[in-house]
Amino acid sequence: MQRYILRRLLQGALLLFIVALVVFALARVSGNPIDLLVREDATAEDRAHLQKALGLDRPMHEQLYIFLTGAVRGDLGQSIRYRRSAAEVFFERLPNTLKLLPLAMAGALAIAIPLGVLAAVYRGTLVDRLAGGLAVLGIATPQFWLGIVLIYVFSIQLGVLPSARMGGPSHYVLPAVTLGVFLLAGMMRLVRSSLLEVMGSEFVKLARLKGLSQTIVIWKHCLRNALIPVVTLFGVYFALLVTGAIVTETVFAWPGVGRLTYEAVIFRDYPLLQAVILLKAVIVLSVNLVVDILYAYLDPRVRYA
Amino acid sequence: MNIRIFLNLMLGGFLAVGGAPAAHAADKDTLVIALDTLGAQVMDPIMDTRAPHAHYHAPVWDSLVGFDLEKGGIGPGVAERWEVAADGKSWTFYLRKSLRFHNGDPVTARDVKFSLERKMSPESIASGAAALRRAVDRIEVVDDLTVRVHTKGVIPYFAASLSRAVFMEGSVMPKKYIETVGAKGFREKPIGSGPWKFVRSVPGDRIEYEAVDYPHWRGTPQFKRLTLLLVPEQSTRLAMVRTGEATIGSIGPEAIKEARVGGMKIVSVPGTMQAVYQFWGLYRPEAKGSPLADVRVREALSLAIDRQQIVDHVMGKQAQWPMPFATFRYSSDMSIPRWDDWARTALRYDPARARQLLAEAGHGGGFKLTFWNTALPGTPFMVQIGEAVAGFWEKIGVKVEVKTTEWGAFDPMTRGEQKALVGTASMYRTAGRPEPAPRYIGSFNSKGVQHLLGDPQNCPAICQDADRAYEAVVSERDDAKRAAAANRMIELVAKSWIAVPIIEGMGYWAVNPKGVGFFKPIPGRHEFGDVTERMPRPEQRPWP
Repeated sequence: MQRYILRRLLQGALLLFIVALVVFALARVSGNPIDLLVREDATAEDRAHLQKALGLDRPMHEQLYIFLTGAVRGDLGQSIRYRRSAAEVFFERLPNTLKLLPLAMAGALAIAIPLGVLAAVYRGTLVDRLAGGLAVLGIATPQFWLGIVLIYVFSIQLGVLPSARMGGPSHYVLPAVTLGVFLLAGMMRLVRSSLLEVMGSEFVKLARLKGLSQTIVIWKHCLRNALIPVVTLFGVYFALLVTGAIVTETVFAWPGVGRLTYEAVIFRDYPLLQAVILLKAVIVLSVNLVVDILYAYLDPRVRYA
Repeated sequence: MNIRIFLNLMLGGFLAVGGAPAAHAADKDTLVIALDTLGAQVMDPIMDTRAPHAHYHAPVWDSLVGFDLEKGGIGPGVAERWEVAADGKSWTFYLRKSLRFHNGDPVTARDVKFSLERKMSPESIASGAAALRRAVDRIEVVDDLTVRVHTKGVIPYFAASLSRAVFMEGSVMPKKYIETVGAKGFREKPIGSGPWKFVRSVPGDRIEYEAVDYPHWRGTPQFKRLTLLLVPEQSTRLAMVRTGEATIGSIGPEAIKEARVGGMKIVSVPGTMQAVYQFWGLYRPEAKGSPLADVRVREALSLAIDRQQIVDHVMGKQAQWPMPFATFRYSSDMSIPRWDDWARTALRYDPARARQLLAEAGHGGGFKLTFWNTALPGTPFMVQIGEAVAGFWEKIGVKVEVKTTEWGAFDPMTRGEQKALVGTASMYRTAGRPEPAPRYIGSFNSKGVQHLLGDPQNCPAICQDADRAYEAVVSERDDAKRAAAANRMIELVAKSWIAVPIIEGMGYWAVNPKGVGFFKPIPGRHEFGDVTERMPRPEQRPWP
């Protein structure tokens, strides 16, 4: 197990290096941040001064060297827009996203697992069809549209929930539901299909022959095995949403890292964009590692492979 | 369809239907303004470069030169008055008595000197830092309330450049406090002499202020607290104003109808920008055979545009008939009535005359025209205006090849030799500012950034005339003579039809009339950073 983890860590370091190179190059293809910072009648001298003040006048290879050596030391540079450490800006916003994600994910799981089990157990019945329809609706509904509908109904019409921003517990409801519906649909479908596969296995037949009740067979024996791909998907969703909840965070004015990523792109804030993507890569790799370890725990064949 | 536009339409439609009042409205003592941007959200006047800082810096810091609140343009600020020396090379500013910073320290000439020097310092990235460095020779403290700035030449618009009517160079910072706590400490706990004291800044979310507890020369706030919220999505801003979670929200012209239907009031700020189109590199040898090189063709293209249609339908009647290039009804150094009359006539819609001029120029059958349709940051509706302009040109037989281009891709092409733009037209914008001359040097002077009339290597007669006209304006110390010179400069450009105004744009705000009373904005200044202190409570001055 230790050799497995060590190998994955080395692979991760190599991947991070490649990500760093790619993001450094791609960030600069999108344009020059100076264009957005200077006023319309700025002279060449004004531009040159700003370029120097921001360290953008250095040759490209020098900027890359500074970025890579800094990254190794944990210094991801200064945000051009905020004039502060890019990593500091990222970690300042990360808790806001992390406060929202568990709510959305826990809510989604709490509904997706029972619903997926019901759909699998009552395969082909009205229950299955209803659950399937719900899943299609959840996947097909654009998040921004759902967010707007929720604001309209619960904030404008009923006046029971705030329409946006971080705040007390009531502020979490609409953004968490918006994110959760998207997660719920995918997870429910996966639980159902995975459970159906497991329910046809030999060990399940044996369990039934032994006279175990349907509840024990499904919830104890089948579900544990069926959850392996769900855990994988859960990890992938979590990593994706850490910086990928852009639409939800924008609609609900939630100051998380999803919106920060969007701002870094729009303002061509190279150091911030580099930092956000690199740190996101670290999060994705870490989550994947944890998922793989969990996977190995849930499925002993992985452990011994 | 762009996600943002779709989103706006969706909620816009919903808002029109009606609804119940929300239980999450802001408390009555807090003025809450929802903004589309908080810029860099750095509480230090030397660390932000563009207009958003006029939203969030202005409550805390006073400016050396202020506003003419009724007409727009410049007026008294921390300096009650100022005068320029006989040789035009030094400006003396006389400060208000009894002004204090939020920690109780008096505002003195030493603070003004310190502030201007800090703005010019190497670490400053303020928008006008380079211009100040070029302009200022030295700063002299005459006495506690008098400061004299010696300039490197005659700069008639020097005072204006220290007003937020233009940019932010005139913010007065506390010398003693900054020297004590350092730059970092100042950014964390900033103080100024403005009517609002800084309380807290939550990055990416909000900035909170509280009102000073003494009468303030800019106006004593009627609310106890001020909160600026960053709400990037317009639909959400509208919803927040509707429910009372925000009192005021910035909106674009496309949201005005929906806001009105939802019971909100609209505050339009006149003269914040002018949408223009302009022709590039027509003086260059490779553009010699272009139909656009003929002034009759350029005038015909202007006559083909029905500006009233654009004002009514693209801008939802929330725009004005423009004045000549980069001039507004609050501009100084020019004859407003004369140019207002000129604009009504010369910028009229006359397609018959346009066709006649094209025929006279030998292009009655039309010609091909490349038109870069782009929008500068903050004014996305420029693209819709550009589409309308291209449509009007098509109607008189011009075959317009519209190249809709993101600003970030277009802007680099406007610098240097502008090879990709030679012989083409593009959309552009001029920001609202009181004096036209600084904008004219950038666009028309042979050494200017855009040099639309010629560059130092190819400077035809009109280019040389423009250079001389500009020099005549900026070297003239007599006000009347300078106004006459400015009129000549404006006329030269107007008759060239090289850069042509389309509409005068406005800044738009949705207001919840239950949260704030009737107030007037400052003409030309979209941001409310200098308005909040004069906003009444709803019961003090109800909306008409």
